[in-house]
Amino acid sequence: MAEPSPLLTRGLSKSYRVGHIRQSLHPALIDLDLEVRRGEILGYVGPNGSGKTTTLKLLTGLLKPDGGEAWVFGQPLESRAWRHRMGYLPEHPYLYDYLTPSEYLDYAGRLFSLPAPVRRKRARELLALVGLERSTRVPMRRFSKGMVQRVGLAQALINDPELLLLDEPMSGLDPLGRRLVRHLILDQRKAGKTVLFSTHILSDAETLCDRVAVLRAGRLVQVGALGEMLRPDVAHMEVLVEGPGSGLPEIEGEMRREAVGDRTRLEVDEKALARVIVAVDAAGGRVLSVQPVRQSLEEHFFQEMGGDDGGGNSWEG
Amino acid sequence: MGGLSRLVAVAANTFRETVRERVLYNLVFFAILMTLSGLLLGQLSIRQDEKVLKDIGLAAMDFFGTLIAIFIGVGLVSKEIERRSLYPLLAKPLSRGEFFLGKFAGLVFTLLVNIAVMTLGLYATLLATGRGADPGLLAAIYPIFLGLVLVVAFAMLFSTLTSSALASVLTVGVVLAGRFSDVVRNMREVLPAVPTWVVDGLSAVIPNFRNFDFKDRVTYGDPVPGDVLLWVTVYAAVYVTIVLGLGLASFRSRDFQ
Ligand SMILES: Nc1ncnc2c1ncn2[C@@H]1O[C@H](COP(=O)(O)OP(=O)(O)OP(=O)(O)O)[C@@H](O)[C@H]1O
Ligand SMILES: [Mg+2]
Repeated sequence: MAEPSPLLTRGLSKSYRVGHIRQSLHPALIDLDLEVRRGEILGYVGPNGSGKTTTLKLLTGLLKPDGGEAWVFGQPLESRAWRHRMGYLPEHPYLYDYLTPSEYLDYAGRLFSLPAPVRRKRARELLALVGLERSTRVPMRRFSKGMVQRVGLAQALINDPELLLLDEPMSGLDPLGRRLVRHLILDQRKAGKTVLFSTHILSDAETLCDRVAVLRAGRLVQVGALGEMLRPDVAHMEVLVEGPGSGLPEIEGEMRREAVGDRTRLEVDEKALARVIVAVDAAGGRVLSVQPVRQSLEEHFFQEMGGDDGGGNSWEG
Repeated sequence: MGGLSRLVAVAANTFRETVRERVLYNLVFFAILMTLSGLLLGQLSIRQDEKVLKDIGLAAMDFFGTLIAIFIGVGLVSKEIERRSLYPLLAKPLSRGEFFLGKFAGLVFTLLVNIAVMTLGLYATLLATGRGADPGLLAAIYPIFLGLVLVVAFAMLFSTLTSSALASVLTVGVVLAGRFSDVVRNMREVLPAVPTWVVDGLSAVIPNFRNFDFKDRVTYGDPVPGDVLLWVTVYAAVYVTIVLGLGLASFRSRDFQ
């Protein structure tokens, strides 16, 4: 018998009531059909206000859906049995000021009915994992935003969950923290776990995800492997040239030219590469490097979503 | 079984919060008040003053207790919702009912500790000024405690429905209306525009907090019969069950936006 997928939604929808006197409904998530596969890292991306947080709150039961259904490990959302196998990091978590991280993790562990020795051991391991081993006895009142975020990650892992739902796990973290989270997510996959994380930072999605789901104004617009989404046929080359300056004539197949100090950066079609090298040589310059440029996820989305959006959604927010 | 242990975990954390957030500092004021009245009255040492001291002690317990009950009942529940600290918890196997009832248990325990410490303080003052430790006082203190539990239940109900500011106002309103119930009944003399059903409704729904007041009786030395205390207990239990049940229903059905 095939194991049910960790997460499956059908037609999941949610509207918020806005306004006090003349109430109207503002749809935040519309008919979401999404399947997360066992053992994958799924990036949930979309501009500010596209419905990422709403989705995760629906899945964790903080919001009640207006319509649609969802199953976690094959069990309906309303059944609570699956909660033992899931970990959740809310967006901008607030944890109790008056507790130390060890106390907080102990509390979290008690809610999973973990025995005391296990709680202590897991708390110690997880706080070391998120780089807080030296602050375990400090009340979180004295924590910076990034430190709280790290405790938030630790509490999501307290029950060694098979499915992790992380709402912007990198937010508020310094570069070291971001790398830590990347490694943490990859380690989870290595251990056979499934991870869904939301982000609007596309490079994070790009370096981590097996697949991405793209949300826009409450609708799922695309799901798939990045390789399929970023068309390989638009691949081109970046050539860094030293010397010729303005002496370099326009080359057929050239897409972009940029002066960087005394160097010139060219973006050219793959097929034009030979002509470029010849032209540079003829102009008395020197080719320093040639690199293939794949279309980045970011460029892809600027093309897909840029400009005519209309929904008040933008990557800048 | 797991449910009960989770409920206890929430209750324990709630009590820890009241300790760490220095809610129990009210006890310091109570101690100061008791010491001062003890010192002042102790010098006079007239038999009459024993009643005065008991009056002050019981009234202070009632007053500080009510203040704390409103403060923690609204504060500690609204804060969880407004600051979103319950989000990571409710995603765990903890159900909303367990959270809500655990919170209630923790708050009631805080009130119990509060009342217990104040009771000890009152007895200590009585003994220190050369008066006997009258066990009859407990017959007034126990109903005060029941009243506080009911105040917390109301505060929790309002916190699930509205903002902390409005919840405080509503809770204070219920306490005042319940203590001065003739005010509600005579409301129409002041505000004739208020329809009868509103007045009738309010006086039917709002508990009569004076049922919990045995202060005068006890300080005059009247014994309070056991069946009266039993009746008050049942009265409180019924009201707490209803109010808490409404709060639970509202907490269960709401969205955490
Ligand atoms: N409490 C609320 N009341 C009314 N509307 C809301 C509420 N929360 C969110 N919305 C609306 O729902 C839509 C989706 O919001 P959501 O928070 O899910 O977006 P998001 O993708 O998580 O955005 P971000 O990247 O900024 O975190 C937005 O249009 C937002 O205005
Ligand atoms: Mg969000």
